Amino acid sequence: MEAWLHLNAQTEELVGQHCRTEMRVAVIGAGVIGLSSAQCIINRFQPTVKPLTVIVYADTFTPDTTSDGAAGFWQPYVLDEGKPEEVKWNKETFDYLLSYMSSSDANEMGLFLQSGYNIFKEPVPDPSWKDAVLGFRHLTTKELKLFPGFSYGWFNTTLMLEGKSYLPWMMAKLKECGVKFVEKKISSFQELGPDFDVIVNCTGIRAQELQPDPELKPARGQIVKVYAPWMKHFIVSHDLKAGIYSMPYILPGSKLVTMGGIFQLGNWSEENNPKDHNKVWEGGCKLVPSLKNAKIVEDWTGLRPVRNRIRLERQTFESRPQTFEVIHNYGHGGYGLTIHWGCAMEVSNILDKIVQERKPSWKIPSRL
Amino acid sequence: RGLRCRKQRMDRVRVGVIGAGIVGLSTALCVAESLPGCSVTVIAEKFSPHTTSDVAAGILSPHLITVTPVESLRRWFAETFAHVYSIARSTEAPDAGVQILSGWEIFKEPPEERIPFWSDIVLAFRVMSDSELTRFPETTFGWMYTTLLCECLLYLPWLEKRLKQAGVQLEAGKVTDLWDLEGKYDVVVNCAGLGAGPLTGDPLLHPVRGQVLKVRAPWLKHFIRCGDGTTYIYPGVTGVTLGGTRQAGDRRLGPDAADERSILARCLVYEPSLAGCRGLGEAGVGLRPTRRALRLGGERLERGGRSMWVVHNYGHGGAGVSLHWGMAREAARLVKETLAQIRPQPTHNKSKL
Repeated sequence: MEAWLHLNAQTEELVGQHCRTEMRVAVIGAGVIGLSSAQCIINRFQPTVKPLTVIVYADTFTPDTTSDGAAGFWQPYVLDEGKPEEVKWNKETFDYLLSYMSSSDANEMGLFLQSGYNIFKEPVPDPSWKDAVLGFRHLTTKELKLFPGFSYGWFNTTLMLEGKSYLPWMMAKLKECGVKFVEKKISSFQELGPDFDVIVNCTGIRAQELQPDPELKPARGQIVKVYAPWMKHFIVSHDLKAGIYSMPYILPGSKLVTMGGIFQLGNWSEENNPKDHNKVWEGGCKLVPSLKNAKIVEDWTGLRPVRNRIRLERQTFESRPQTFEVIHNYGHGGYGLTIHWGCAMEVSNILDKIVQERKPSWKIPSRL
Repeated sequence: RGLRCRKQRMDRVRVGVIGAGIVGLSTALCVAESLPGCSVTVIAEKFSPHTTSDVAAGILSPHLITVTPVESLRRWFAETFAHVYSIARSTEAPDAGVQILSGWEIFKEPPEERIPFWSDIVLAFRVMSDSELTRFPETTFGWMYTTLLCECLLYLPWLEKRLKQAGVQLEAGKVTDLWDLEGKYDVVVNCAGLGAGPLTGDPLLHPVRGQVLKVRAPWLKHFIRCGDGTTYIYPGVTGVTLGGTRQAGDRRLGPDAADERSILARCLVYEPSLAGCRGLGEAGVGLRPTRRALRLGGERLERGGRSMWVVHNYGHGGAGVSLHWGMAREAARLVKETLAQIRPQPTHNKSKL
């Protein structure tokens, strides 16, 4: 009789363990991808998964991340190969941000609307995102006179999301929800494996330090930030042969104007270089002569984490003492801010599958 | 040869321009440029930053209720737009306070004129779609257009620099009677704005008071204007101008606290992010020199045997910036015509040998 009772108690304890819905999540990376992944996870699972532990590990935080240096211009590549999931994530991000536009948070988020011009030397098909942005249309002959040398283009209104404001805003919200931040460089998934059920890998260009990935390459960009408060439109010029972001672009921000036009695939240098500075400066002044009077404030160089497609997928690590899951979320190239929320939601979808899988299976373990 | 020089000096035409707002300065410049060798003096009580023009946001979009024929308005606006556009595209743009600006003009009810007369003159113009209108409260119709903005706080000093380069004299002084200038100038150009009232006794000229609030909100990249013209947000170079009021007959030049509260409240409805403005804004008041018909024309005044020639260029209401260059050019043509009448060989001294 006593032995039977003892066995029942053991079983109950085992079943109880399977029923507990706790989840421990580590996010590696505190750029826009890491922080938004954490935020989406908190939004979705904090109400139902108890306890939910989310810790963000990173060796770089705002204002030093790649996301901080970017101008914050919402626009996917103009000739995307139409990866349907990326088209969907882009639109989800735009709609999500637009919903904040009339809120009191917009300012703190570094979020505002801006209209402007995409100009080409030949006709191009309309982009996949033409219905995501506001008021998309083609340029008139009169408007094209603004840009000698260009014969075709688009006008639309889009969103600007400045990383230097958005990242601190997200961190504050995450802290309010109990998310912890640890300044630490993680050297392997196994380092965190024992302590977490799921690791979300948002390490951007340095993902290869955790796992080799020949598809991931840096696309170096150098920008020149200038003070030119009379600039009220974005202008992005394109040459289909030269490739995305290799032609001059001008992106007015909330305080400074970002001038750019450098896209060097395979270049790992994070140093500003005078040749690129001159290329950007001369290119921008040719597009908009009045910029010659702009006051140059600083240069910045960043490495776009380019990949043929974003790596957003799950990888199971069958390791001792227990299995853990990694959800990869990196390789967003020059459109991380543009696509971040759609990707974060997909991360939470994958996490949901993992949570569902962990629900009790009611199998009595064979210890009899 | 010395005799001819003296004759040249005696023959040198003198033009006096009253007023140093955007109309006075641009008219003086047009006169100086079209009549080289002519001596031009601007006489004004107020110079930038104390003129009516300095208060204006400076948007180029001529909204005015007027009996002036629309062909004239179109002509003056087109000429002004082309001129300011060339400045916008040049390296002078920042010094001149000129920028290209897009934005939305929104209406509670569709206006009588669905498409305004200037729609083909601005850089781009279209009617907003229904889905676009949903972003704005109580809005059933709207336009999105791209135009120019001419910030007078910068534009007027820039004009003054060009005037000095053209040899134009700037004189501070209040003209209380046109006849005080008789004998000093061959032609007087009256660009005195609201001041033209006492000078001419014109019963049709009256002030329409406008109060504005200038704030710092550099993240704003579009204008928003409500169709009735009383509520607007214009992001300029040095700040964002929030407005406004339209108080006919009101001559108060001091800011009114209730007007300021009303302006802020109305603008916040359309642009909630204004709540994030740092610091207090700067209030300004301008009296729009309004007249049912814009007055641009020559007149020969007579008094007790004396006569003097005046070219009037005033009564632009809230459309001074929008129409300034086109009307200044026409005023300069009128000056030239007048001079041709009173001085048959006015400006060039060809060798008669």
